[in-house]
Amino acid sequence: MTVFEVINNILKIVGDAVAAFIISILGAGGLADFVIMLLAALIICSICAVAFMGLTYAERKIVARIQDRIGPNQAGPYGLLQPIADGIKMFTKEDTTPAEADRWVYNLAPLVIAVFALLTYAVIPFAPGVVGTNLNIGVFYVIAVGSGSTVAILMAGWGSNNKYSLLGAFRTVAQLVGYEVPMLLNVLPVVMLAGSMSLVDIVERQTLSNGGNGIPFILMAPLSALIFLISGIAETGRSPFDLLEAESEIVAGFHVEYSGMKFALFFLGEYVNALAVSIMFTVLFLGGYAGPILPPYVWLLLKVAAVFTLLMWLRGTLPRVRVDQLMSFNWKFLVPMSIVNVILVMVIGKVFVADAVLAQSNGGIAVPPIVQALILFTSSIALLLASLLLVARQARQLRLVEAEDIEKRVAQNKVAAAKVVAQ
Amino acid sequence: MTLQQILFIVISLVVLGSAVLVVTTRNLFHAALFLVVSFFGVAGFYVLLDAGFFAAAQVLVYIGAISILFIFAVMLTRDVITAQRGNSQWQAAAIVAGVIFLIMALLLGPFSVTIRGREFGNANWPFAMDGNAIKAAPGNFVGILGTGLVDLNQYGVPFLLAAVLLLVAMVGAIWVARELRGREAERAAAETAVDDADMDANQPVQEPLPLIETETHEAHDSRNAAATEKH
Repeated sequence: MTVFEVINNILKIVGDAVAAFIISILGAGGLADFVIMLLAALIICSICAVAFMGLTYAERKIVARIQDRIGPNQAGPYGLLQPIADGIKMFTKEDTTPAEADRWVYNLAPLVIAVFALLTYAVIPFAPGVVGTNLNIGVFYVIAVGSGSTVAILMAGWGSNNKYSLLGAFRTVAQLVGYEVPMLLNVLPVVMLAGSMSLVDIVERQTLSNGGNGIPFILMAPLSALIFLISGIAETGRSPFDLLEAESEIVAGFHVEYSGMKFALFFLGEYVNALAVSIMFTVLFLGGYAGPILPPYVWLLLKVAAVFTLLMWLRGTLPRVRVDQLMSFNWKFLVPMSIVNVILVMVIGKVFVADAVLAQSNGGIAVPPIVQALILFTSSIALLLASLLLVARQARQLRLVEAEDIEKRVAQNKVAAAKVVAQ
Repeated sequence: MTLQQILFIVISLVVLGSAVLVVTTRNLFHAALFLVVSFFGVAGFYVLLDAGFFAAAQVLVYIGAISILFIFAVMLTRDVITAQRGNSQWQAAAIVAGVIFLIMALLLGPFSVTIRGREFGNANWPFAMDGNAIKAAPGNFVGILGTGLVDLNQYGVPFLLAAVLLLVAMVGAIWVARELRGREAERAAAETAVDDADMDANQPVQEPLPLIETETHEAHDSRNAAATEKH
């Protein structure tokens, strides 16, 4: 084994060594397996907690730069100890409960939200062979677990016994349930192209080494990638889709009554969810850990950092959308476009087959993978342009009708004014 | 006892306990939450049976949809926390549930019953999945399930029956809502006179505001001019 191989597989080697050590103590069997799984779950959760601290710091610094501020700079060099200071503050704050709160529900909600946020990480492949569990329904599992946070947010909104909390929770349901549809519809092309719902298989299809063709799915389904990112941001409730906690309208939405560590858990849930969306985007569309020269986990880290920076950039730049805009954008634009996109990918994937053997057995024209990718890319972009053109025309007509209406009213007013003058 | 059996018993207790609480607790919101716990336990059963797809579908479809139920519970019920009304037809519901349970126990449990010379029960469950196929290809559960759901010799008929069940539930919901609408109208007519709290809901619908209020400066000025002329 060369030095490069050791560096590339360091996570797997260390993991195997620890597992072997535990088996040597407890003996092979159910108990050892249980302890190993428990340890793995603990490590993944701790990584999430550490990433949460890092992300809050990075986000505050980057958004501050976008808004022409400096950001945290007092605690430690460059404000690096700010997350720890925040943690201490959270721990020492008084833990309040509203007088008429539904206590059980109120206290359980932050826990539920944090648990559902962490569950996603069980199936994410961090490097070849480094994955919590390689479920054959990985994508489906991630989306199923993601839907659990809706219930938790409703619990918080209801349990607080506060108008603004409940309003925030209602908004959440409308938004999260709505944006789940385009999200699912745009995972579908990736599943079809990869021929598997397992996240490991999806990544392997985008690598050059293990049976893949090295083309990331963002090049084969760019429209899906775009819509997935948009609906992913909406699912995590980040700006510009932060209607569930719009401070200027409903104070802070569902978590307005929470303080101390309970609030910190909501905060953790939000960031862990946002990170999960970035990782899912990386895995589904950017090839996960695939990449030349550098070790796989470094590639994953770089790609995830790039996607998360994009999220922060959007947060710092875009204003919040209105609730009716949010809904009509989803149901009247994203969902129809996604459905057409799914059909498009389905047809093209059946007509132009990248696998020569499959083309022979199932029919279709056998083409090299690069040509198939090119056709998919062009048709996706064409669909996007066509839909944008359609919407632009529609909007123009609406504006024309409105302008005509205004002209009519002005004319009526003029007539009325003339009558008054005549009197 | 193996670990699987212990897990099975624990999950069963959670599912049954929360299912009982769903129908006994007075607080609608808590009932919906217990329903979530119960469904989550059922997803646990699927995991124990190595049916990951079912578990994920259970979580996605049921727990995701329960939140909508919450909203309806809160919006359509007055005084969700303090409401103290029971279901007047609970005896009938209990009898129906008991009969259905008995039938299912007969069909699935270690009993059998002979009706008109044909034996129904344990060994002769008419819609059986191909167990050998699952054993032969343990990874391909989803594929076997997919064919099992459309094959009339396997689960085709129960699958269609489940769809009928949903239809019945929908028709029932519409019927209940229509019934209530008639009664509500009568009650509302009687209540408006006394109940101030309902004033908001029963206020006459206001005229919709004009889309754009245009009053040009010209018109405004001329009206002012007209006013001054009158003076």
